[in-house]
Amino acid sequence: MRDRTFAPSRMLIYLVVLLVAVAYLVPLIVVVLNSLRSNEEIAQTSMIGWPLRWAFGNYLTAWSDFCVAQTCAGIRPYMLNSALVTIPATIFSTLLGAVAGYAVSLWRFRGDQWIYGIVTLGIFLPQQMRLLPWTIVLRDMGLMNTLTGLVMIHTIQGLSFTVLFCRNYYVSVPQELIRAARIDGAGFFRIFWRIILPLSPPILVVTVIWQFTHIWNEFLYGVTFTTGQQQPVTAALIALSAAVADIPQNGVQSAAVMIAALPTLLIYLIGGKYFVRGLTAGAVK
Amino acid sequence: MPITTTRRRLLAGSAAALALPAFARAQGAVKPRLTAISQWSAGSDGAAITALGKKFEEKGGIWQHSPVPGFTTEMMNKLRAQIIAGDPPACSQLKGPEIAAWSKIAPTVNLDALVAAAGYEKVVAPDLAKLHKPGGKWIALPLQIYSTNMLFLSKRALDKAKADKTPVTWADFNDLAEKMKAGGVTYPIANGGTRPDDGQKFEASFAGISPAAYRAAIMNLDKNALEGPEIRAAFAQTRKIADWMDPNVGAQPFATNLKRFVDGDMGIMIQGGWAQGVLRNAGFKFDDFIIVPGPSDNSKPVFLLNADAFIFWQRSEPDLQAGQTLMAQLVMDPAIQTMYSQITGSIPVRTDVDLSGEGWSDGQRRTAGALKDAVANNQAVLSLAHNMAQENGLTAAMIDVLTEYVKNKTIKPEQAVTRLAEAVEGAR
Repeated sequence: MRDRTFAPSRMLIYLVVLLVAVAYLVPLIVVVLNSLRSNEEIAQTSMIGWPLRWAFGNYLTAWSDFCVAQTCAGIRPYMLNSALVTIPATIFSTLLGAVAGYAVSLWRFRGDQWIYGIVTLGIFLPQQMRLLPWTIVLRDMGLMNTLTGLVMIHTIQGLSFTVLFCRNYYVSVPQELIRAARIDGAGFFRIFWRIILPLSPPILVVTVIWQFTHIWNEFLYGVTFTTGQQQPVTAALIALSAAVADIPQNGVQSAAVMIAALPTLLIYLIGGKYFVRGLTAGAVK
Repeated sequence: MPITTTRRRLLAGSAAALALPAFARAQGAVKPRLTAISQWSAGSDGAAITALGKKFEEKGGIWQHSPVPGFTTEMMNKLRAQIIAGDPPACSQLKGPEIAAWSKIAPTVNLDALVAAAGYEKVVAPDLAKLHKPGGKWIALPLQIYSTNMLFLSKRALDKAKADKTPVTWADFNDLAEKMKAGGVTYPIANGGTRPDDGQKFEASFAGISPAAYRAAIMNLDKNALEGPEIRAAFAQTRKIADWMDPNVGAQPFATNLKRFVDGDMGIMIQGGWAQGVLRNAGFKFDDFIIVPGPSDNSKPVFLLNADAFIFWQRSEPDLQAGQTLMAQLVMDPAIQTMYSQITGSIPVRTDVDLSGEGWSDGQRRTAGALKDAVANNQAVLSLAHNMAQENGLTAAMIDVLTEYVKNKTIKPEQAVTRLAEAVEGAR
C-alpha cells in the first residue's frame, strides 16, 4: 500500500500551498526586518534588505518616544484610546447582534425578514456615505470629539455584520428545541440565556474577531470624530507615514505597525480555530 | 510721485491705527486663544507648526492645535464635520482654489485691515495673493512656498556624464539626460510613482516650454490653449522624461530612490524644495547634489507655485477673535516666515526676506531668486499637481490623464492632448 501523504498529488498541493503562504508572508517579513533597521540604513540602501546593524531601539521609539504634533509619547496613548473604543464596541455589538439574530431567526414575527434585510443593508453602505449623517447625529447628541461617540457608532454599524452572522448560525438550531422550552414555560430571554447562548461560542468568537479587527483598524471615523490626544492608533500610524517634507520613518513606522497589530493578532491566535468553522456553519442554509 | 506714496502710506497707517487699538483692546480684555487644525503632525512639518505655536504662546496666547494625521481628504472631512457641528476651528490649513470653494460653506474673517497694516500685499506674488482673497477680501494667509519644478542634479551622475554646466532650457536638459545615459547612468530621471509625481513631470514641461500657454490652458482652462502646439510639445517632453525613468517604481514615493540618485545610478529629480529636507534628514550631504530652477525655454526662471496657507473661520468668542488677530500678524511676520521655512526647507511667502544669512541653503536661495525673477517676468504660475491651479475635482480628472500618459507609453502626445481637453470638459 502506498503512503498517501507522499502521493504526487499531495506533494503538488503542499507545494502550491507553500508558495501561496510565502507570497503572503513576504510583506510581513519586509516589515519585520525593517522594524529592526534604522531609518538612515533603509534610506541609504533599500526598502528590502537584511539588517546591517540591529536597531531594536525602533520599538522603544515607536512605543513611547516619537512625536505627533507637540506630544512625544509614541503610540502608547493612542493604543489605549483604540482599546477604549474597540473593547466596549465589540462587546456591545456582539451581544446585541446575538439577541437580534436570535430574534429574527427563531422568533418569527410579521416583517422579520424585512427587519433583517434592512439591518444587513448597512454592510453595503460605503463608510464615506455615512460620514455626514453621523456628524449630524453626534452634533445633536453632543458627542462630537468624544470616545463615547465612536463606541456608539461602531456598536450600531457593527450590528449589520453581527446580526447577519448570528442569524445564519441560529437558523440551523431546530425549532423543536425552542418549542419544547416554551412548553416548559421559558420566555424569550430565558431561552436565549439557557439554550441559545451555550450553543453560541463558535459564532461569538467569529463576531468578536470580526468586530475587533474592523474597529481596531478603522481610520476614517477615528480621525474625523476625535481630536488631539483622543485619536486612535491608526491616526498615530498615519501621522508617522504621511509627512511629505521628511525622510520616511520606515524603521520606526514598521515597529509601530508591528506593535499596533499585536492585539488583533492575539485575538486571531486565541480564536482563530473557530473562525472558519463558525463562518461556514449555517452557510448552506 | 511723492503725493501718491504719502496718500498710500496714510491709508495704510490709518488702517493700522484702526486695527491696532481693536487688537490691543481685545488683548487687554481677554487672553488670545486659537483653535487650529492642520495635517502637519510629524517630521519637519510637525516641528515647524509646533515652533509657530511656541511663538504664539510667547505673545501671551493659548495655542490649541489639533493635527489631523493623513492626507488632505482626512483633514477636509474633519473640517466639514466641525463646520456642520457649528464649531469650526478659528483657523485651518487650506490651500489653492479650495480656499474660495470652502469660503462659500461657512463665514470667514475679513483680514483686509490686518493685511493693509502689515503692508503684506505688495510683497506677495500676485497670482498667489489672488487665491487668498476670493471676492476681493483677504480671508486666508499664505505661510510658505515651494516650487514644484526645481531640478535636483546628482553630483555623481553629472561626473559620469562629464557635464560641466547645469541645464537652463529643455534642450539643455535633454542633452544632459542623453549624456548621462551614455555615461552609464541607468535611469537619468529619479522618480517616484505617485500621482503628484507624474503631474509634476508634465507641469514642469509645460510651464518650462511656455508659462503663458500654461497659464491660459491649465489655470484659465482656455480651450484654444488646451489644444495648442505648446501643450502638445509639453506632452512630447513628458514622454522623453518618462522614457528615462525607472518603470518599476510602482506607487512608491520619490524618497524610495534617494540612494540610487545620490549614487549616480539615477541622475535628475524634478521635485519641490521639500526634497532637500528629505535628503538632508536621510543623512546625505549638500555636496551630493545641486539644486537649480526648472528648465525654461526662454531662459528666465519659471516658478511653479505651491503654497501652504491658513484660512480663518468666523467665531463670535472674543478670545478666539483676539487669537485670530495675533495669528494673522504672526503668519505675515518676516521673522516667523524665516523660522518656519528654515525648518521645512520651503521659502518665505514674502519676497522681501533676505536669505543670505545663516540657516538658509543654496537651494533655498536659488529658489527665492527664481521666485523674484519669475514674478518680475510674469512667469510665476500655479502648480496643478499640488492642487493650486484648480479645485480638487478638476485636478483629479486632469491628473488621471497625466498619470496614465506617463505610465502607458502607447498613448501618443496628440491623443493625450485630446484626452486632457475632454477630461476638463467632462469635469467642469
